[in-house]
Amino acid sequence: MSTQIRLRNCAKTFADGTRALAPFDLTIEGGETIVLLGPSGCGKTTILRMIAGLEFSDAGGVISFDGDDVTRQSIEKRRVGMVFQSYALFPNMTVAENVAYGLKVHGVPGKERDARVDAMLEMMHIDMLADRRIDQLSGGQRQRVALARAIAVQPRVLLLDEPLTALDAKLRVRLRTEINALLRKLGITAVYVTHDQEEAMALGDRIVVMQKGEIAQIGTPREIYRKPQNPFVADFVGAANRMTGQMRDGRLHIGAHVFDAVDAFDPRHGAIIDQGAVELYFRADGLSPCDLDEAHFTGRVEAVSYLGERLRLTVSGIGPQAVTIDTHADDVIETGADVHCRVNADRLTVFPAVAAHS
Amino acid sequence: MRRDWKFYSQLGLTIVLCLFIVVPVVMSALAGVTVNVFKGLSSGLTLRWVFEVWDLYAQSILLSLGIAMACLVVTLLAGVPLAYVLVRRPSRMMRLFEELLTLPVAIPGLALALALLITYGGVSGYRSSWLFILTGHVLFTLPFMVRSVAAVMAAMDMKMLEEGAASLGAGFWRRFFGVIVPNAKPGILAGALMVVTLSIGEFNLTWMLHTPLTKTLPVGLADAYASMRLEIGSAYTLIFFVLIMPLLIAMQALADRGKRASRRIDTAEDTL
Ligand SMILES: Nc1ncnc2c1ncn2[C@@H]1O[C@H](COP(=O)(O)OP(=O)(O)O)[C@@H](O)[C@H]1O
Ligand SMILES: [Mg+2]
Repeated sequence: MSTQIRLRNCAKTFADGTRALAPFDLTIEGGETIVLLGPSGCGKTTILRMIAGLEFSDAGGVISFDGDDVTRQSIEKRRVGMVFQSYALFPNMTVAENVAYGLKVHGVPGKERDARVDAMLEMMHIDMLADRRIDQLSGGQRQRVALARAIAVQPRVLLLDEPLTALDAKLRVRLRTEINALLRKLGITAVYVTHDQEEAMALGDRIVVMQKGEIAQIGTPREIYRKPQNPFVADFVGAANRMTGQMRDGRLHIGAHVFDAVDAFDPRHGAIIDQGAVELYFRADGLSPCDLDEAHFTGRVEAVSYLGERLRLTVSGIGPQAVTIDTHADDVIETGADVHCRVNADRLTVFPAVAAHS
Repeated sequence: MRRDWKFYSQLGLTIVLCLFIVVPVVMSALAGVTVNVFKGLSSGLTLRWVFEVWDLYAQSILLSLGIAMACLVVTLLAGVPLAYVLVRRPSRMMRLFEELLTLPVAIPGLALALALLITYGGVSGYRSSWLFILTGHVLFTLPFMVRSVAAVMAAMDMKMLEEGAASLGAGFWRRFFGVIVPNAKPGILAGALMVVTLSIGEFNLTWMLHTPLTKTLPVGLADAYASMRLEIGSAYTLIFFVLIMPLLIAMQALADRGKRASRRIDTAEDTL
């Protein structure tokens, strides 16, 4: 059975006074893969280290594994597997010895140990590297060894802190796919830290988006992607285009145009936004290029970038800042040209305007 | 590349400098096996002086080796944990302590010896035993051990390695002896060779601290030069060389190996 992790009222203030985490609750179900996503410095690693037992919560916080209170337990006792960005492999040992280390510590007898090491190496496709020294391995190979070493001891939870960040893009995607398959196969409870939205979407059963030491939103990848709960999450998961508008009697007014079919539910206040100034966040699909007679807006092309299957235009004159619009890859568009576009109201995420900006 | 006059003049200078250093060594060594130095090599070669030195000074030579080994044990036991704490838990206190530790290297050996004599000279059993000299040697060599080990430890991200080991269930001692110490080995080895070499060759301090019954190798050497015929002093030097050269060569080899390891290019491919 895989382990459920509960964090209750946990918070972290470091000795130097840095408030890394405001008090929060989080429950990670048994067998679930949860991804902690957020920009650098938002406290992802600190949460992971608290679950591991490498940092302790401020007074009042409680951490439990399957109901056992582990709040005061040290990392050696918690049976957690850890995978670090910089691998943390033992340079004085071979690949096989690295994987065997935890088994040795746990007193697994020699024969059984060897068998388990072999099985782990095979599972991670590194059986031919068994006798190599760590400094003879590439980054991708090292991360495989680190994974094998962590899961060899059959930990209750697997904790991964940006394990792919040090690798090149192609390898990152490949290992990500493998890790995903591995986590499903093992059915182990996993907490995965990353600042990469795509990685989070690909791996997480649920994603915890973090902002400056607070949880900004918890949800499935689909929820996070389609229904970001606040402008920060919207922006961070790629809906970085912004327009301003007005809600009047449940209808959205942008300039002279009126739109009916908008989802104006504000999850933070649990109510439909009926009246008042709003901010609209959207991805490149929130606006589509069209002919002049169908157009809601006309902007000026500031930059054109070729993305292969489509062309991405950076357009000024529509929102308070430039917005991005996608068009066919075959279109010939010059910088400085006018572009006409329609609003796809169902692609807009509506937030009440914050007085500070706009 | 054509070898011009610059190359040859540099080569010449190098050879002259080397000779300047090597010739006295060879002369001295030869003198130790010459029947009569004043008559020169024509008087014939002999091992008589070497045996005579052994008869006279075996005690000093063995004492020196003993002190060097004891010094090594003490500096290992104290220096490795000290280096660990310095690197792992840096604080203002620890930095201050490190400075303090280096003090015996900076001040003249004579002054250090004097300080020891003033402080502990009255403790008669201690003052007259070899442990008194050992104390001086440990004070003098400990900083070398600590520095050497700390340099390697600082370069190896101990925190990360320990956290990795701890996550696999390893407690402190298991981590220390299974992960930290093996990975600090190059620094420990280099430090050990340095300590032994320094201890065997130490004169300043030891000369002040010794008693007629606790004469070490270099003190005996000074004694031989001062009171024996020149051949005996030279034969003594020869023995000293034979003892110290392997240590120096090992030290050099170790340094070379470290350099080569860090220069190795990572040839592993990211094919996986
Ligand atoms: N040991 C520490 N002492 C003081 N501040 C720390 C320590 N570790 C992390 N922090 C601070 O806590 C905040 C969160 O850090 P971290 O959890 O590492 O962020 P992330 O992993 O999301 O990049 C940062 O502001 C960081 O500077
Ligand atoms: Mg981090």
